[in-house]
Amino acid sequence: METEKKKLICFKCNKELELRKTDFTYLGHSFFTELPRCPECGQVYVSEELVKSRISDVEMQLEDK
Amino acid sequence: MCLRRIPAQRVQKGSKIFLRKNCSDHGPFESIIWRGLSDINEWVNGSDISIPVEPHCPDNCGLCEDHLRNTCCVLINVTDNCNLNCRFCLADQDGNSPEPAFEEIHKSILELIIKDKTLLQLSGGEPTTRKDLPEIISAAKEASAKYVQLNSNGIRLGEDKSYAGKLARAGLSFVFMQFDGTDDSVYESLRGRALLKIKQKAIENCAEHNIGVTLVPTIVRDVNTKSIGEILKYAISQSPAVRGVHFQPVSYFGRIPEKPGESDRITLDELVYEIEKQTDGIIKSADLLPSSCDHPLCGFHGDFVVDGNSLLPLLKRSEKKANCCCGDTTAAEKNREFVARRWLRPAMQPDQREKFNGDIHDMDYFLKQVKTYGFTVTAMAFQDAWNIDFSRLRHCSFHVYDKGRYVPFCAYYLTGWKG
Repeated sequence: METEKKKLICFKCNKELELRKTDFTYLGHSFFTELPRCPECGQVYVSEELVKSRISDVEMQLEDK
Repeated sequence: MCLRRIPAQRVQKGSKIFLRKNCSDHGPFESIIWRGLSDINEWVNGSDISIPVEPHCPDNCGLCEDHLRNTCCVLINVTDNCNLNCRFCLADQDGNSPEPAFEEIHKSILELIIKDKTLLQLSGGEPTTRKDLPEIISAAKEASAKYVQLNSNGIRLGEDKSYAGKLARAGLSFVFMQFDGTDDSVYESLRGRALLKIKQKAIENCAEHNIGVTLVPTIVRDVNTKSIGEILKYAISQSPAVRGVHFQPVSYFGRIPEKPGESDRITLDELVYEIEKQTDGIIKSADLLPSSCDHPLCGFHGDFVVDGNSLLPLLKRSEKKANCCCGDTTAAEKNREFVARRWLRPAMQPDQREKFNGDIHDMDYFLKQVKTYGFTVTAMAFQDAWNIDFSRLRHCSFHVYDKGRYVPFCAYYLTGWKG
């Protein structure tokens, strides 16, 4: 992922984001994946690329007809 | 039962629901449609299932302005011949019928296929008894059918190892294979001979050529009603070669041994109940959703991913009204893609069953597994002269194409009680 090659800095805390296991739910299902997170405030960065690829793929697999 | 069109009403007796009709020649009769093992109102969930007043169905089917669904899957009959002589057979073949010529089938293919959209089912009789089946599949693919499905008893596929390869090269997408049980006594009773080994070989041969196989049991009381769980467990053990199980509770059209009584019917609620019970809860009732693309009393679907010996359900029944294919071609297309993505076996899979060594809730592992080990549990309850319900017929999205007309499946194959 291109964003992983760059340093990501939390705008609020000015700390470098670290890859951390992150839980999310969709349509009643729980999943986890590693996402960049601020070690200070816990905000997670979800890139547009991730949304358009894997997350959208998960959505597609879980949706009914 | 004599195919005269007569009024019908659904009546409740205790927890059971019957479709009651009164024929001026044959008197009153009724057919059980729900055994009360779950609440029919919750199942129907607000869908309009009212029976039409003064319907003209099924005269002149073709789809008319009163039909409520678009075509999801379309079937053509390529032969009336068969290499079995089953107790129950929708087409009642005698094995010596003249077949439609290739040119005739090709003409139908060119007429019906919508480029890169159509899911075409080749059915019979037994389509593999035709020598030119690979050419028919090629013709459908050349006409840009998106998916070509073969409905087969699997005998030829099991007997001839190279045959599955020929069909795969011609462009076959997947097979719906008659599979009534994991015990030969079931086949001897229903199909007249032991067939389990040949079916297993057919699965193996299809797997070698990456053709997904969905198992299709016809469920008949006291023959294989106790085999439902075993069929599902076997199918799960054969994933990813086997893509799912499509149950067909027995219907009484074509060739049938005798007129059905109440106990001969396997209702949808009974099937759902038995699935949960016989799989020891691997599949729960709530994981199976009523048909939305067709009528809720016509079938159900469940979508899963195999995780070792268990299944992760991807759908949950909810109070939210389901989407439907009402007058909307994109909805029918969505439904088609929903089923086809599972029935189609993705390319480049290893022959050996991989170890299930990840956590299914890990997003990347889930995405990898769901495409390979996706698994559907579906059912379609066909109608016959006793229980035909024009509300159901009007909601049908599964059509037979014949001489320029799209006919709802159950209207096409409907026969009176004398066959």
